[in-house]
Amino acid sequence: MVKTKNNSDRSVAFPSRIQKRGQEEMVGFALIVIIVAVIIIIFLGLSLSKKNVPATESYEAENFVQATLQYTTQCRDSFGYVQIDSLIFDCLNGVSCAGESDSCEVLNSTLSGLLKEGWSAGSGGLTKGYIFNINSSRGNLLEIKEGEITSGSKGSYQPLSRGGNSVGIRFTVYN
Amino acid sequence: MAFMIVAVTIFFALVGMIILVTQVSGLNQKAAALRGENAKLLVSKIADSPEFSCGNSFGTSMGSCIDEDKVMNLKSMINKYGKGSFWGVNGIEIRTIYPLNRGIECTKENYPDCSVISLIKSVNGTGVSNFVSLCRRDYSSGISSANCTLAEIIVTYNG
Repeated sequence: MVKTKNNSDRSVAFPSRIQKRGQEEMVGFALIVIIVAVIIIIFLGLSLSKKNVPATESYEAENFVQATLQYTTQCRDSFGYVQIDSLIFDCLNGVSCAGESDSCEVLNSTLSGLLKEGWSAGSGGLTKGYIFNINSSRGNLLEIKEGEITSGSKGSYQPLSRGGNSVGIRFTVYN
Repeated sequence: MAFMIVAVTIFFALVGMIILVTQVSGLNQKAAALRGENAKLLVSKIADSPEFSCGNSFGTSMGSCIDEDKVMNLKSMINKYGKGSFWGVNGIEIRTIYPLNRGIECTKENYPDCSVISLIKSVNGTGVSNFVSLCRRDYSSGISSANCTLAEIIVTYNG
């Protein structure tokens, strides 16, 4: 309040109006800064929540299963050495290899060797573990598990059918 | 009022510059990732290309299958493919995984008692690999049969 010449208490509107306008503009600027900061935080939150590239891609697991199915085993039949895909059905139907060796044992040992050399689970590498499972309508035919199960995984599923029988091969790799 | 306009403009200019810097700084990583994607696609395609693929040589059409006999012939003729520049990569190597890998380089003299076929030897670069079935014809007692092993094809590229 400014005293006038007549000593009457009259408020001078002009200076306080300038002060008020200045304060309003500062508040407006602060609001703009806050809104922009909130938008940036939301944008950062969305972009940082993107998942990392997994250590194992699905195409590696798929190709491994495809290549494994074509592997020539030590099991012989009347036509020659049998590949894994045929050996699976021999095991399913209880057909033995030439020389009376059990087709399921040959299948198990061959797949174990392929998986061990192909993936080396738990030896300090990127692969922490894997599960290779062959399932049929009659139940679980074979399961090979190694290492530990983690939250990050990639895998593949391959159905096979022959002579009225069908199996499903599921391979999951844990990183 | 004029001060407010200038302050808001400077503020938005600063925010824009920060966004631009963060976007541009990821460009090199994106370029390297693209080159890696190309190499992965090439690895997948190479096994199905006529120079490598088994085709119907082993009875039925087999996917992810490399004909070992064909690749050994290709190795001797690699100069006709510009020493490998045909595929646009630094190196191509096929390595047997199972049965156990002894790390012996394949030549005409020791084939097939070997486990590594280096089509293009790479000096530097980044390697991408994929599993393949490596098949060849074996002859025993006058009978020809397919012998397929588990292998990996390693492609090296600039990245």
